[in-house]
Amino acid sequence: MDALYNSMYYVGAGALILIGLYMVLVKANLIKIMLGISFMDTGLHVLLIAIGYVRGRTAPILSQALLEAGEGPPAVVDPVPQALVLTAIVIGVGVLALGLSIAVKVYEHYGTLDAGRIKGLKW
Amino acid sequence: MVIAPLLIVIPLAAAFLIPLLEFVSSKAGKYVPPLALLANVVLSAVLIPQVLAAPIVVSIGGWKPPICINLTVGPLGILLAALISLVSFLTAVYAVGYIKQGPTGRYHMLFLLLVAGATGVVLTGDIFNLFVFFEILCISSYALTAYNRNKEGTEAAFKYLVQGTIGSTLILIAIAFVYGLFGTLNMADIASRISSAEPTHLFFILALFIAGFGVEAAIFPLNAWLPDAHSSAPSSISAILSGIAIKAGVYAIARTTYTLFDTSGLTIIVSVVGLATLMIGEISAYRQRDDIKRMLAYSSIGHIGLIVFALGIGTYAGVFGSLFQLVNHAIAKAVLFLVVGYMILRVGSKKLSAFEGLGRQMPLSSLAFAIAIFSLVGLPPFAGFMSKLSIVYAAVETKQLLLLVFVAIVLLATVIEAGYFFRLIQTLYFRQGVSERRIGEAPLSALIPVVVLTLSILVIGLCPQLITPLLRGGAEELLNRADYIRHVLGPL
Amino acid sequence: MRRASALVLLLVLAAGLAVVLAKIPFGQDKIGVGNHYIEKGVTETGATNIVTSVVVSYRGFDTLGEVTVLFAAALGVTTLLFVERPQERKKREPASLIVATGSRLLFPLIILFGIYIFLHGHLTPGGGFQGGAVIASGFLLLYLARPGQTMRRKNLSAAESLGGLVFVVVGLLGIVFSGYFLQNFLPKGHPNLLLSAGIIPLVYIAIGVKVGSELGRIIGDLVERD
Repeated sequence: MDALYNSMYYVGAGALILIGLYMVLVKANLIKIMLGISFMDTGLHVLLIAIGYVRGRTAPILSQALLEAGEGPPAVVDPVPQALVLTAIVIGVGVLALGLSIAVKVYEHYGTLDAGRIKGLKW
Repeated sequence: MVIAPLLIVIPLAAAFLIPLLEFVSSKAGKYVPPLALLANVVLSAVLIPQVLAAPIVVSIGGWKPPICINLTVGPLGILLAALISLVSFLTAVYAVGYIKQGPTGRYHMLFLLLVAGATGVVLTGDIFNLFVFFEILCISSYALTAYNRNKEGTEAAFKYLVQGTIGSTLILIAIAFVYGLFGTLNMADIASRISSAEPTHLFFILALFIAGFGVEAAIFPLNAWLPDAHSSAPSSISAILSGIAIKAGVYAIARTTYTLFDTSGLTIIVSVVGLATLMIGEISAYRQRDDIKRMLAYSSIGHIGLIVFALGIGTYAGVFGSLFQLVNHAIAKAVLFLVVGYMILRVGSKKLSAFEGLGRQMPLSSLAFAIAIFSLVGLPPFAGFMSKLSIVYAAVETKQLLLLVFVAIVLLATVIEAGYFFRLIQTLYFRQGVSERRIGEAPLSALIPVVVLTLSILVIGLCPQLITPLLRGGAEELLNRADYIRHVLGPL
Repeated sequence: MRRASALVLLLVLAAGLAVVLAKIPFGQDKIGVGNHYIEKGVTETGATNIVTSVVVSYRGFDTLGEVTVLFAAALGVTTLLFVERPQERKKREPASLIVATGSRLLFPLIILFGIYIFLHGHLTPGGGFQGGAVIASGFLLLYLARPGQTMRRKNLSAAESLGGLVFVVVGLLGIVFSGYFLQNFLPKGHPNLLLSAGIIPLVYIAIGVKVGSELGRIIGDLVERD
């Protein structure tokens, strides 16, 4: 039971990344490819946050109660992965918005969202 | 202390400024990039003597590394930053007259952001900061590839975006693992702690980094996006993508392989990958007859293969040759794409057969084109000869049988390259043009950048000692990890 | 064929992930650089939200890069969906009564909430990006309530550029006053008060305005395509 609890966040994050990668590599619909990218991003964010977690500690906001708590450093989790995830979420949103607008333009030109039939550029 | 962040901040601030300027006058936007990038060129030239004396470490925010993000400007960083500033300044001058349709203000903003991203990649000393600036570079190039909004441009941009995003995800996974294992994101700090982890884990993380950065650097087998993207983008953007964006990817691979991870034996794999890229690039370029920009794009893949192959040799001479080839290829490929831009505009087609006889009608452009080709193929007395010679010499000097075989393959690839490039020169000069239209020379705003770049090819070829101190310093910086750590973190 | 090779690749990736993650034990204390931020964050920067002090102060360059990424993406969206002459607008169904009335009540509240989030970024969870996203959702609500309405792009563009320029200028002022880019030059004040933490509230206000107008512009571009 303990082993399950220890690994479920990593397994979940890894599964999300792999599912997203599978969708990007195999699916033909442009929108499904963008969806796969979104899954990969979410899995990545969960992975980063899970790496920074320390059991028994709370969020890194030093409210008045924590500041007056007593000796030693405050018992909070690692703040750095949270800052990294903040940046990564914004980057993910930017890429997703750009990708969807490119997909819209491709649809306007080709009339289909099937990547198998969008082969204007040949070898 | 002050100048190094300015190299990144000036293009950023200029990009933020353009919409406000457009309130005043809608034509003001296109003059901002040349001015901002000229400032960059001047600042990087000022920094070069200082950096050659001692690397500059600037911390952002005033804290001490590894608590903060720091910029580590060594010889390698300033060499690439100066190269980026020069090539992008000249391309920006070219773009003043070349980009006429569509939302031109946005083009110039995205262009400045691309340059800021590339400069940030080569100057930073923190792995996550490298990722963020790498993303700025990538997103600006996705958007600029689709700038023409035509059929090919949007399709190429979508493929580029999807493959680039997979690469970025792999990089971020690797960064997450690095943070989990070592607890820090500063490159010098990671380098000093690298021995505390097991080799299997390090191998996997390094593989993720190389695969992730390799998508942007276009190594085999991750280069499927490059021919489409570089041939469908507007020509000034093709010049920047081929000249700068893929070089940033190669720099990131070099930085992670040499500085972060202590790999002495694994570099042979990098060489093999580079060799495969070289062969694929040159053979595919030979088969192109219908699209000159596609041919140039495949040639870029070939040269990246050569640069990566030399990087993988692992000796000081190998890295020296690799950096030299990087500089030469950036300048020469920029000349080729800029010249081809106006040629396609004047002739109206991308087919190779439509360029017959242009040698007479666009004399200056064709001359620059020919000089750049001679440099890329490696003929003396042009710059490319010196760089290819140093790569071959570096491989032969190691006296390993495997590397001698590789050198034979490199020479074979050069022969193929000479084949298709000389066929092009033959078309330009020795065939009679079929159309009776008077095809004029390119305008002055295009000729000046092309002439300046071509002159630099000649200058570097005749007096290579102008840049060899920087190249030597860069090779030393990559190979000498202990000095890098000492400069950033202070003596241990 | 494609499915098979994709599955093989995924298996290799999964094996590698498992091998490395086994070495990163979940829930144990492996904080490296983070300890410095936890112990000295309040005294060195004045912000009680340690994530904010990391994002704006210690790793402020990353935030500048992140703001730029969003800027580049918004520019890309506008470049792609740009129309020189907007054509005839199709007749759209008006929104239901509840949405139309509710939006008039909710829109100012949403904007207020967004401003609250980025103003208090150094005290409570939140900050510039979160507040900006909430503000942009207010714009989305307006689009849902009044289909066919256009917004004034130029004002949003100006707000966006102004926000970015303020961020860069604050960084440059750091050079002027204290010698390093993005160094703090305002007094840190007493922790847990609204007016504290030096330049952090300034930076977050600039980011909040920028991100709000930027995401609003992206939403506007995507909605007004027809």
